[in-house]
Amino acid sequence: MGHRKNGKKNVSKRGLLVRTMFLLAVCGIVAFVALAVRLYDVQIVNHSYFHARALSGQLRHSTISATRGTIFDASGQILAKSAAVENVFISPLEMARENQNVWLIADGLSEILGVDRDMIVERASRTNSQYQIIKLKADADEVAGVREFIREHGLRGIHFEPNSRRYFPNDSLAGQIIGFVGTDNTGLDGVERRYERYLTGVNGRNVRLTSARGTQLSFRDFEDTFEAQDGHDITLTIDASIQYLVEKHLEAAIDQYTVLNGAVCIAMNPRTGAILAMASYPNFNPNEFLQVSDRDMQRLEQIEDEEEFRAALRDAQFRQWRNRALTDTYEPGSVFKIITMAMALEENLANLNTYFDCHGSISVLGRVDRNQNPLRLNCWRRRGHGTQTFDQAMQNSCNVVFVDLAVRLGARRFYSYIDAFGLFERTGIDNASESRSLWWDENLFFNRHNHSQLAAASIGQTFNVTPIQMISAVSATINGGYLMQPHIVQSITDSNGNIIREQEPTVIRQVISAGTSAMMRETLENVVETGTGRNAQVIGYRVGGKTGTSENVVQIVTSGDGALKDLTASFVGFAPADDPEIVILLLLDTPCHSTGLSVTGGAMAAPVVGNMLADILPLALGIMPQYSEDQMQDLSIIVPRVTEGYVGNAIGRLRSVGLTYTIVGDGNSVTAQLPAPNAQVAPGTAVLVFAGVDAHDSEVTVPNLSGMTFEGARRALENRGLFIRTTGVPMSDVRARVSVQSVSAGAGVPHGTVIEVTLIDKEVIELMH
Amino acid sequence: MDRRTVQNQIDEFEDIHAGVILDGMPTWKDRELSSETVDDVEKGPGVDKPFLVITLVLLTIGLIMVLSASFVSASYMTGDPLGFFMRQAMFAVSGVALMLVVSRISVRFISRWSTALLFGSITLLILVLLIGIRVNGATRWLSIGEGTGSFSFQPSEIAKLAVILSFAQMACKFGVSRMRTFKYGVLPFVVLTATIVILLYFQPHVSAIIIIAVTAAIMMFAGGTRLRYFLLAIIGAAFLAAIVMLPNLVSSVRDSGVQGIATEVENPQLDFSGMGHWGRRIDIWLDPDADPLGGGFQTRQSLNAIGSGGLLGQGLGQSRQKHQYLPEEHNDFIFAIISEELGFVGAMLILMLFALLVIRGYWLALNAKDRFSALVVIGITSLMAIQVFFNVAVVTNLIPATGIPLPLFSYGGTALWIQLVQMGIVLAVSREIPLIKKDEPDEDMEALS
Repeated sequence: MGHRKNGKKNVSKRGLLVRTMFLLAVCGIVAFVALAVRLYDVQIVNHSYFHARALSGQLRHSTISATRGTIFDASGQILAKSAAVENVFISPLEMARENQNVWLIADGLSEILGVDRDMIVERASRTNSQYQIIKLKADADEVAGVREFIREHGLRGIHFEPNSRRYFPNDSLAGQIIGFVGTDNTGLDGVERRYERYLTGVNGRNVRLTSARGTQLSFRDFEDTFEAQDGHDITLTIDASIQYLVEKHLEAAIDQYTVLNGAVCIAMNPRTGAILAMASYPNFNPNEFLQVSDRDMQRLEQIEDEEEFRAALRDAQFRQWRNRALTDTYEPGSVFKIITMAMALEENLANLNTYFDCHGSISVLGRVDRNQNPLRLNCWRRRGHGTQTFDQAMQNSCNVVFVDLAVRLGARRFYSYIDAFGLFERTGIDNASESRSLWWDENLFFNRHNHSQLAAASIGQTFNVTPIQMISAVSATINGGYLMQPHIVQSITDSNGNIIREQEPTVIRQVISAGTSAMMRETLENVVETGTGRNAQVIGYRVGGKTGTSENVVQIVTSGDGALKDLTASFVGFAPADDPEIVILLLLDTPCHSTGLSVTGGAMAAPVVGNMLADILPLALGIMPQYSEDQMQDLSIIVPRVTEGYVGNAIGRLRSVGLTYTIVGDGNSVTAQLPAPNAQVAPGTAVLVFAGVDAHDSEVTVPNLSGMTFEGARRALENRGLFIRTTGVPMSDVRARVSVQSVSAGAGVPHGTVIEVTLIDKEVIELMH
Repeated sequence: MDRRTVQNQIDEFEDIHAGVILDGMPTWKDRELSSETVDDVEKGPGVDKPFLVITLVLLTIGLIMVLSASFVSASYMTGDPLGFFMRQAMFAVSGVALMLVVSRISVRFISRWSTALLFGSITLLILVLLIGIRVNGATRWLSIGEGTGSFSFQPSEIAKLAVILSFAQMACKFGVSRMRTFKYGVLPFVVLTATIVILLYFQPHVSAIIIIAVTAAIMMFAGGTRLRYFLLAIIGAAFLAAIVMLPNLVSSVRDSGVQGIATEVENPQLDFSGMGHWGRRIDIWLDPDADPLGGGFQTRQSLNAIGSGGLLGQGLGQSRQKHQYLPEEHNDFIFAIISEELGFVGAMLILMLFALLVIRGYWLALNAKDRFSALVVIGITSLMAIQVFFNVAVVTNLIPATGIPLPLFSYGGTALWIQLVQMGIVLAVSREIPLIKKDEPDEDMEALS
């Protein structure tokens, strides 16, 4: 039994032993080996895969937005700048979840942000959305207001996100040059668009390890920041003060001459090609670039049809955004005679003293009327200019002489000069857009048997150029003969102030010799001194220039508003004439004939350029006037303060500066004076000195002074207790007549107001081209 | 009557009367108890030092890793980064004390209470269905006390131990011969296991079902149930699985076939989504990237953590995935954080410690003074191994995801207590291992009487 038992026991013992060993093998070894293999696979073999996948989940990328570069004028004044603002948006989902009072929020936000309340209510009703913009680019005050509003009422669901906004601190000043930016802050026009690449900068990136909730972890080895590269700053050649003065006079001219189609003006440094100012009307405010002028709006409001209204609005917007100095072409008219003359002088066809005869017309080969009868080309002065030197012909703007010279020059040579003056190609100025010029096809122009196109071209007709082409070509004739690259941007600097790009004056080519150029300056100075450009005279400065009047080939606005024929009155002027610092081209597009002035460059455009130069030269360019004895008498006088002291003293002081006086009342001491101290008035003006009585501050009506002599105008004003100050030709000039006045006739002004009048040569009123 | 039948009858007879007929029956390992009393036992080698040391080392590493893994969640959830750690440390210290106390209890005492423990834990499992705390759609926790003094536990944890102890006791009581029969060797075990499984099913608690089922099977296996029954069970289970899965497989194959591409039919995309919750888990297991933010999220994040650990790891405390990426990072998925911080080397070190513990456990079982002791140690050791395996296998996506904590590591106080009690029982057994081989009567039958 014992043996058997032992055997059985051994079996059972061995059974448990075997089974335990089996379990040990499975649970103690195989299982762990399996796990080890799996771990090896995940941790060693596929380590990089899982590691990368883990990182992609752990890393957070965020954008650091670059600040858009600032645009400065030549003197460092800010023209465009970006500032941090915030978008205000709501989360209707959150508002609904938190049971927010939609009406309270809508009321509050519409009041603080100035947005439509119904719009807020409507957007708040989209309760499956978490992002509904209420206001883009709210400024700091508005955001602070909203924050306060949220805090006050414990509101939920109103949020902010950073954005940036472009500010144009000078509003419409140089609007078309600077351009504007869209809601996404990209440049849409002007320098903003042309230099987008430089201005925009490069957004930075921050990569960091975060927890799943987005909080930053302190693992430095994975933090990586690529700093935003702020946009480059751009310094323009534009001088804000010149731009301001140009725009001021341009606006006044548009008003005074009732210019129907706006105006264009370019001021340029002829030696460098740097644009000092460039204005075109209608203009706009880049801060509110969609808003059209009041005048346009009045017109638009008449339109009832929705579709039509929108089309008209779009038209008006495009019109105001257009930098017409670059995009519009025009017939330069007589201003172009500068170019023709330069060719003739350079080719030695004539010198300034060469004599020409003008009988009022010239026959041109191939020029025929409708019935194929020969048609002579008329001079603007039908009875002719008689015998005159080339210099005088220019002063007279005599068509006959220029046609004659052009024919002698020949079409091919003429066109090669046109090419050399850069009038065929775009100037390549650095702004958003520029148009091409329009010229006759060479085959037609070079026709040996028909000189009519050449004849017309010689006096600036039948072709179209852009104002920027014209002023560049004119600059070449007066700066020593060099066609310069016109440019608007002076330099580009990075955010640390390092210069990235600097625009050096770039000579495209020399077109005429320095000698020819000197002759051109001389003759153009004479044009202003004694010729058709007289009205551009600035007392104390040597000014050169040329008038132009041309018919508008493309009529943008046809108006029966007194416009007999749609004309563009233009003038190009420069100063100082011997060494030009500035050249100004002015175009008045369709001035109204009803002003009583002849619609000519000499009568309308020249005085405006003169006024511009009179301000710009001393104020912006620091070029002080040099007065002759005679000229001193014609200068405006600054009224001294005489209100403190006795009447006798006051009389003495007024006399000493060249003023006269009228005493009102019989007191001993001065109680008041008119005009106020520091006002500028014409010499000899009788200042009202009040002795013992008060000045009566009643309103008076301004009389119409147009066409009056200086003395007549002064008397007319003084009769009403008003004062006079003049610009333009000297008041002592016998032919000087009032053309326009700063306050239009019939307007009411306070007693003692100084009215500024522009005096022009009356000859120029009567006879003009 | 053939020879075997006679033999069986003799075996049965002997087994039944073993407790009575003290005829010098030796222990199954030809070893004898040096003494019959606890005092005598203490004269022996005492508790098994290697087992104790490995346990304490693992527990210590576990605590450190709980600190490292939990401080992010702890600061988010409780405001105190050390909150989870301190609680776990408290349970660990008290658990070690508990373990040492248990290690001094005699095995006989344990065996006496094992049946009571089984019915007690079944009662608790019923109770948990009635008054348990419902968390995430499952009722697994019982809470005792109110307020801060309260603590909660999972009766399923106790059931695991109860199954081990009671099944060991039953196996001993039935004896080797009867264990070979279906009536004794299968039926009572299966009935008890089924009872517990059904109770767990109602919680529901799939991972506990799996673990208890596997533990029960191991106890039966070690207890002497004939292999043919296991074979039958495996065939039966496979058949059942086939019945459940076949319609889905067929339909998925057919769906692929509709597109008319032969290669797709040859290599059909398995789709278990028709099989409810578990089908979905299997889908995720097969392709965790299919739904990276949904079902596959945790598995993906776990693999990201483990994989980015590489050979040497990110360094202790340097896990990135614990920063709210990996859910349950201090509970069931603590091994992922370990792998991320300590790398393949650290993870393998811990697995090797576990393996050593398990192997040492089986060694202790082989040397245990009696059959009951041996079976209990085998059960506890196997349970440990199963839980480690399932946990790490889930974390590394070796098997479909199910929530099984890593013994001695995962955050959870009462579970840790029970694990340490289990370690204590192993130590208690180890204490009673006789020093000298002597041909003395077996004690185990006495213990069972």
